[in-house]
Amino acid sequence: MLYRVAGQFKTSYQADYALFPVRQDAWLLVFILLLAFVVFPMTANEFMFRAMLTPVLIYSLAALGLNILTGYAGQLSLGTGAFMGVGAYACYKLVTIFPEMNIVVAIFLSGFFSAAVGVAFGLPSLRIKGFYLAIATLAAQFFLVWLFQKWAWLYNYSASGAIQVPNIKLFGVTVAGAHATALTQYYFVLCVVCVVTFLAINLTRGRIGRIWKSVRDMDIAAELVGINLMKAKLTAFFVSSYIVGISGALFVFLWRGAAEAELFDIQLSFKVLFIAIIGGLGSIMGNFLGAILIVALPVLISFVPGLLGLPIGAAMVEHLNVMIIGMLIIGFLIVEPHGLARFWAMIREKLIIWPFPH
Amino acid sequence: MRLTIKTAVLATIFAAGLTAPALAQDTLKLPNMSYRTGPFAATGTPHMNGQLDYMTMLNERDGGINGVKVQFDECETGYNTEKGVECYEKMRSEGALVTQPWSTGITLQVLPRTNVDKIPMYAPGYGFSAMQDGKTFSWAFNPPTSYWDGASMIMNAISGDNLDSLKGKKIALLHLDHPYGKEPIPLLEALAAKHGFELLLVPVGMSEMQSQSAQWLQIRREKPDFVLMWGWGAMNGGAITEAVKTRYPMNQFVSIWWGAHEPDLSLVGDQAKGYRALSWNFADSDSKLMQDVKKYVVDAGKSQINQAGGEFDTTAYQRGILMSVIMAEGVRAAQDLAGTPNIDREQLRGGFENIKLDDTRLAELGATDMMAPFSTSCANHTGHAKAWMIEWDGSKFVKVTDLLTADRAEIDPLVEKAAAAYAAANQPWPINDACTD
Repeated sequence: MLYRVAGQFKTSYQADYALFPVRQDAWLLVFILLLAFVVFPMTANEFMFRAMLTPVLIYSLAALGLNILTGYAGQLSLGTGAFMGVGAYACYKLVTIFPEMNIVVAIFLSGFFSAAVGVAFGLPSLRIKGFYLAIATLAAQFFLVWLFQKWAWLYNYSASGAIQVPNIKLFGVTVAGAHATALTQYYFVLCVVCVVTFLAINLTRGRIGRIWKSVRDMDIAAELVGINLMKAKLTAFFVSSYIVGISGALFVFLWRGAAEAELFDIQLSFKVLFIAIIGGLGSIMGNFLGAILIVALPVLISFVPGLLGLPIGAAMVEHLNVMIIGMLIIGFLIVEPHGLARFWAMIREKLIIWPFPH
Repeated sequence: MRLTIKTAVLATIFAAGLTAPALAQDTLKLPNMSYRTGPFAATGTPHMNGQLDYMTMLNERDGGINGVKVQFDECETGYNTEKGVECYEKMRSEGALVTQPWSTGITLQVLPRTNVDKIPMYAPGYGFSAMQDGKTFSWAFNPPTSYWDGASMIMNAISGDNLDSLKGKKIALLHLDHPYGKEPIPLLEALAAKHGFELLLVPVGMSEMQSQSAQWLQIRREKPDFVLMWGWGAMNGGAITEAVKTRYPMNQFVSIWWGAHEPDLSLVGDQAKGYRALSWNFADSDSKLMQDVKKYVVDAGKSQINQAGGEFDTTAYQRGILMSVIMAEGVRAAQDLAGTPNIDREQLRGGFENIKLDDTRLAELGATDMMAPFSTSCANHTGHAKAWMIEWDGSKFVKVTDLLTADRAEIDPLVEKAAAAYAAANQPWPINDACTD
């Protein structure tokens, strides 16, 4: 009833290829965007912005980047954390070498650095597949983190070996650094994420996206129908690392404020991979759902004992949190192995045919 | 009947009189970012237990500090910087008077924000050495002594107060490859250039803390005259075990205070005899301070310490106690200056700048000879307490030197340079020029 598609006719090819062929989907999106752009900024406090909203958006973006590579083009990667690091360090160098540079330009440029590195480490994908490729990207993970530690030029020879975000203004408003307010940073991240997501949706459902999917489903068949595998795989690495790099720059500049090399360790790669898998490989929306589950839910759970007045120590809450999130992940994957996005798709399907299931 | 009404009225007034001040009298929110989980829990937990137990003791024995109870909440970070952001925001929104980041990575993130959010940061015996410059770092405090002070004291001790005697010698710095471990490098490099000794940097990555065979192979090959250690968590135990295995002479192996951790040494016992650590505190379980903690907290079952494991007697636990002692002194000073027991963040900042822990005060607290006296000021946020060299005799630590002094003439110019560089990188950064002393 809520999702009745009866009466929505498509009379042209254009209508058939529309981003949202079902009107209710468009309304749902408008509702979510209203929530993100108007309701949250009006109601959330600084803690919610800094501990939940901004990180969820940034992690979603990172997972989106990985999903293009793993979910759409079928190339397994364990180097996401390091590629985020490349974006962050590139942005830091750009901002410190050219202090006049617009931060938006710096962030979008830094994506190219990680894209280049991504393509370089993607070259083995032409020869190796699956787990073997995962190991090759794992090499990128360890090598790059080692490089972040040893190459002092990257962190401007600071004694601590860490990068610190200076105060950066955009049109007179401080957007990065200690003086930036949480609200400005949230809006900045939200805008970047919206733009990139919009581009990603259109990229994945267009010609290039179909090429990627055909490579993922069976690369020999794809080659036989005339798809250039090298081009397909390398563009996937390029686009994926580009988005991951942007998310890395946002990660440090718009959220953390400082970073040491260990931050981009394999733990980060795994976290992003979990978000992509739990959200659903080969979907855009899944990244956001996965990020909410992995990033925001633990924060919410940690408040539960306090609200109920249970006398549980901080360390115990942390242990419980890990256990609950772990069980939820396993539970969700048993119920729906294809991730939360598929879960939502099933609900939507049921709503469309309701009340007459067949 | 009349009597009962009268009694009821009286009781109501009495009750109102009792509850009213209790409502007005808020608690002092002094939360801590703890890590009782994660890779550094082994050294983190005893310190956090100590900090917590002293505050519990004040609440139990004195009803808080000047009559206001202390609320010493913990927020678990697991040494994870991401959790650090979350905890910082959570505590700040809950009205914390102070932030205790407990990790150099989290300190890095929080330090620039202390100026904007106007919240004092308390990093006892860790954090940036440059934080001693109160003019630049108005809101950050690292009493009783900094890493550069520590490095200078160690160098003075191993050279017999004559650094030129080290000419041509080789000194290795075995350090955690992390902002914390890199902290003493600028000072040691300056000293090496001036006095003609060779500094050999031996970094230990976070992932190789427990198996340092590569590092100790390098040490065995290079045969340094001294090995200084800046380690934390599992790294210290790993290094001591490897040193025993490679038969490195223990009397040439010196650690910063975090290496004065009994559980790491009892593993090897007699074989680590001669191992030294510079420590700003010395465990004394019979002192009045520790006996009070024992009586009001440990014996009352309000402590989380591992009593069977002898945690009460460890240097780390008692160091945690002293960390809270220093903070409580800061709060007291703030209350005296403000003239009210209910202080705010700005007043607490003032208190931290006026800590006076002299011999008399230490005796009053029952902590004589547990730490050296020191005082802070507007320009001096560290206090530069002196420290002892303590040595492992096979079963416990013993003091082997008098209080050591750091070489201010070497450190202060470096501090000035580092503070200026920090301020320049974080423009606009306020400098408190009102500070003169």
